[in-house]
Amino acid sequence: MATPLHEDIYQLVREPIDMVALARHIRAPEDGATVTFDGFVRDHSQNRPTLYLDYEAYESMAVTKMREIGAQLHEKFAIHRVAMVHRLGRLEIGETSVFIAVSAAHRGAAFDACRFAIDTLKRTVPIWKKEYFEDGAVWADGELPPAPAATSRAKPAS
Amino acid sequence: MLLAPSRRAGYNSAVPPVSQSIRVKVLFFGRLKEITGRGEDAIELAEASTIEQLFSQCVTRLPELARYRSSLIASRNQEFAAWDTALHSGDEVAFLPPVSGG
Repeated sequence: MATPLHEDIYQLVREPIDMVALARHIRAPEDGATVTFDGFVRDHSQNRPTLYLDYEAYESMAVTKMREIGAQLHEKFAIHRVAMVHRLGRLEIGETSVFIAVSAAHRGAAFDACRFAIDTLKRTVPIWKKEYFEDGAVWADGELPPAPAATSRAKPAS
Repeated sequence: MLLAPSRRAGYNSAVPPVSQSIRVKVLFFGRLKEITGRGEDAIELAEASTIEQLFSQCVTRLPELARYRSSLIASRNQEFAAWDTALHSGDEVAFLPPVSGG
C-alpha cells in the first residue's frame, strides 16, 4: 500500500517523547497492527554506571536522513504510516531517546520495517551521544556510515 | 540567499574579482566540536578544492584534528560525500565522527 510520506512524522525534539500520541497518530482503520520501538537510556555502559546521556545532532541533515529511511520503508515493506522521533539534549536513565512506530495491515511487514528503521537510523543518522559517568564523560563508540565511493575525478597523490 | 546582483552592482564594480577562491561553511560535531571549540567556521579555499583539501586546511589551523581523519565521514550539503568531491562557493561541509544515535 503506497501512502504519501506526509502522513508520517519525522522529528527531533528536546522534550519527552509522547509515545502514546505518536502510536495513535499512525493507527488507521485499514490497519491491523502497529509495531513500536522504544529506545531508552540504560543505567550502565560497559560495566560502568551511567549518570545521564547528552545527545546532539546535525539537525537538518538528521531529519533529512530520517525521512530517507521512511521513504525506504514505504518502498520495501507493505506498511501504512511511520512515526520516527529522536530526542536531543540531556536524558536521564530510563528516558526514551528514540521512538519508532509503524502501522500496517499485517504484523509481519510492521515488525520488519520497524527493525530495519532502527538499525538504519543507528548507522546513518548524524546524531551523537556523550555518556556521563561518576569520573568523567566519553563520546559513545559509534558506527561510521557507509562511505560514498570516490568520485571519478583524478585523486591527487597524498 | 545572495542579494540580487543589480542591488550590489555599485559595490561589485569596486571590488577586485574573487573567482580564484571559494568560501565554504564547515561544521564540526561531537568530539570535533570540542576540539575546535566551535561548531561552525567559514573557510576560504582555492577554486575546485576538494573536501580532503578543506580538511587539510583545518588541520593546518588545528593539528590535533589530523588523527581523526581515518575515523570521519564527510558530508557536502547534507549528503554523505567522498573525500575527493570538489567544492563550490556556498557549500556546507561537515566532518562527522561515527554516529551513535538511538
